[in-house]
Amino acid sequence: MVVRPLLARLAKKAPVPVFLIAGIGGDEIADRLRLDERLQVMDSPRPAMVLMIVGRLTSGLNGAALQVHDQMAEPRAVVRWSPSRLDASAAIFPHLVAAEAAAALGRAAVAARDDLLAGRLPSSPPLLPDVDPNPWRGVGPWGQGGAGMTGGVPYGRPLPERAKDRDGLQLDQLLVRVGPFMPALPEGLTLEVKLQGDVIQDVVVGENPFLEEAGSESRQEVSPALVAPADLAPFLAALRVPVAIAELELVRVRHHLRWLGHTLRIHGLTALGRRVLALSARVHLGGAGARGALATADVAELRRSLERNFTLAWVTRGIGRLSADQLAALDGGPVARAAGVERDERLADPAYLALGFEPVTRTRGDALARWRLRLHEAERSLRLAEIAGDGMTTVTGAVEGPTGPLGRGLAPSSRLLPLLPDLLTGLDWGDAVSTLLSLDLDLREAALTTPGSGAVPAWAW
Amino acid sequence: MEGGAAALTILVVALGAFLILRGAGDILNPPQSTAPSRVPFSGGLSPDTHAWNRYHVRYYAMALLFLAFDMEMVFMYPWAVVFVEEGLMALIEMLMFITILLFGILYTWREGAFRWS
Repeated sequence: MVVRPLLARLAKKAPVPVFLIAGIGGDEIADRLRLDERLQVMDSPRPAMVLMIVGRLTSGLNGAALQVHDQMAEPRAVVRWSPSRLDASAAIFPHLVAAEAAAALGRAAVAARDDLLAGRLPSSPPLLPDVDPNPWRGVGPWGQGGAGMTGGVPYGRPLPERAKDRDGLQLDQLLVRVGPFMPALPEGLTLEVKLQGDVIQDVVVGENPFLEEAGSESRQEVSPALVAPADLAPFLAALRVPVAIAELELVRVRHHLRWLGHTLRIHGLTALGRRVLALSARVHLGGAGARGALATADVAELRRSLERNFTLAWVTRGIGRLSADQLAALDGGPVARAAGVERDERLADPAYLALGFEPVTRTRGDALARWRLRLHEAERSLRLAEIAGDGMTTVTGAVEGPTGPLGRGLAPSSRLLPLLPDLLTGLDWGDAVSTLLSLDLDLREAALTTPGSGAVPAWAW
Repeated sequence: MEGGAAALTILVVALGAFLILRGAGDILNPPQSTAPSRVPFSGGLSPDTHAWNRYHVRYYAMALLFLAFDMEMVFMYPWAVVFVEEGLMALIEMLMFITILLFGILYTWREGAFRWS
């Protein structure tokens, strides 16, 4: 055959289509992989050739990872890197390519693709049983016929229930379960959404899959930094000991830029999102003045160009507003500050006040105000880092994290999660995704504290 | 007859091209699918209900309105030419046509197509 090698040679010239799953301890590496020129991160497993699992998956996520794996077209390969050896995902994927280090992941994916095309690596076989969960059931001898529009039950799944729509008409209500690896949703978040057309009628938030990790018996041995997203580590440290202000502020800048890059990508502004992600990679924690480090001017320029972007303003204006009660429950953080609530833990720290710190606020309180606020805050934090020098924080016990106050009661994402049903009901699906993105939810962060579970907050570990 | 032969040739060539491409694809990469792989991707979960569902097409009133005015224009241009030759007869016919369309517009009016919100 001549065609197959020719096609394989052509395919090797293209970036490797990958589907990325980031588990615990993998969020930062996943962002680095998105910037890798050799890879093309896909939004669906169907066109992907390599499944990349970065970080540790909990047992609750392993099942979903198997489903994603089986939904990829053959030939396919799984490349994994995990910071811990105690990882069940190593056992569930039999033909796994384990990268020896996080830095080698990109190279491992390219090698896996080349080996697949050359036939040196067998395609990863289907891992879930090939059983239709509900085979076609008609009334006839060959499964045909029956009453109603569809004649029996098509592929055994029941038809949607009927319910009144917003005009009072009895119409079908489609139950859709999304997550935990839906690229538009925060990693690990599952939603059970009842849709009529694309209008959300009801939302049930699924259980946080990272909780089993945080609430496990071995909690004493697992440090919070292993569950928490990487950007939280210096803030969790600042709860106990004084930490360099420059470091905290630079991590905040990086967090906001990473969030923005991700948000832009989901809104369809892929190239812009990549540019912002590249900017976030230029935040040098060693010092703000280092060569090639991100400068205030870069962020200011980005802010100006984004504020001129009509599409982004148009899709985010006027959606996802919170009521006064809901804002009070948040107890500060960027989402509350975007609605005019001037609360910031940094105001309680004399070291910050000495630097002339003033919190950034917006008044509109919608998704638009939130991303504009974060950009402005990134710019201001970068300036703070530049003038802070070796200055340390002087207050411990409570600290303003990138997503909100840490150390007092619940983590910011734990406060936001219960608001989702109220916020999302009645929105179009597109607006719901924009709203979700604007909240900057992180389920790994939410796993540090959970309302009503009686779990000890991470700051008490 | 020539037209028929040409149409038949196009049909045969198109069908041949389809069969060859489809067959080549199947030979190079035989289709493999399992039950889990046929499920629509929604982030790693399986759906509980079937995706066949009826929902309210909210733009239908606007679509009706558009069709009513669009059809009016489509027929009015050629009618303007014919009107010069036919005179009163063409005028009456056009009035009948517009009256029928008017019912459509009245119906969409009742459905709230002119309420801007």
